[in-house]
Amino acid sequence: MAINREKLSMVLQNFVTATADVQGAAVVTPDGLPLGSSLPLGMDDERVSAMSASMLSLGERIGLELARGSVDRIFVEGDKGFGVLTGCGEDAVLLVLASQAAKQGLLMLEIKRVLAELKLILM
Amino acid sequence: MEIMRLIVTGAVGSGKSTFIRSISEIQVVDTDTRATDETGLVKQKTTVAFDFGRLQHGPDMVIHLHGTPGQSRFDFMWDMLIHKAHAYILLVAAHRPEEFRQARKILSFMNQRVQIPMIIGLTHNDFPGAWSQKEVLLALGYMTENNRPLIVQINPTQKDSVAQAVIALVQQLIPCCCLLPQNLHDENITGKVRSYIPV
Repeated sequence: MAINREKLSMVLQNFVTATADVQGAAVVTPDGLPLGSSLPLGMDDERVSAMSASMLSLGERIGLELARGSVDRIFVEGDKGFGVLTGCGEDAVLLVLASQAAKQGLLMLEIKRVLAELKLILM
Repeated sequence: MEIMRLIVTGAVGSGKSTFIRSISEIQVVDTDTRATDETGLVKQKTTVAFDFGRLQHGPDMVIHLHGTPGQSRFDFMWDMLIHKAHAYILLVAAHRPEEFRQARKILSFMNQRVQIPMIIGLTHNDFPGAWSQKEVLLALGYMTENNRPLIVQINPTQKDSVAQAVIALVQQLIPCCCLLPQNLHDENITGKVRSYIPV
């Protein structure tokens, strides 16, 4: 079944607007191409996608090389907020950007919820 | 221990990852991912962050080889890698003229950021329709004879051929006297490398 692009964008948009402190989200292919996104103004989705792919691939390699097993998520914590990368099935990666006010536990829970929704669309 | 960082760059499918795999003495750190775009027509997997290989050059020098991704969307990786480089090699697939524009783009990207020694490595020379060295230089914008970089033919799948290119690049970087045979020690890149050095 073909991936429903509108539905994908809608789920992401809903996620970003409905979840407090989440500023942007993107679903990309493991080789760095955008599938769908809802990003803050001025962020280029192609660039964001490529960066997500690089980081996930490097993270997976680190997990492997340093015997940390398979990677569940990659977490970037900066003084202006968080960036969380999670695998979303075989062929996609989810990037979520959140402000520094975000509660981490809540954020993870919300990500888990939207992942389940996204996996249905990408199946 | 001195570290020399060499960057291997070039368009998609020019042989960057193969180049590093052929010569690295450690197991190469690669970030290959299944290609889903037009890259998939050329090959199944593509580099999305970088390749990393290492080789020992004499007792007190280590060469670190970094391979870049080929697609422009990864230009932030080009930028990160080139700023720490001592020299770079641009690989160009001689039989795919449609990629020359990308090679030229990478070339100007690098030249805008750093002025470091570089050479051009021509790969896929045995394929039908492969361009000659002169033609490729013209296509890359080197119109006149002066200021042309060194161009060498490479088979990235062969260790000897890659070693020759690495030596050529290192020679651009340091005065030739350091590489004369009498100054070389037994633990060399490979036993064969020594024979390539002009006396």
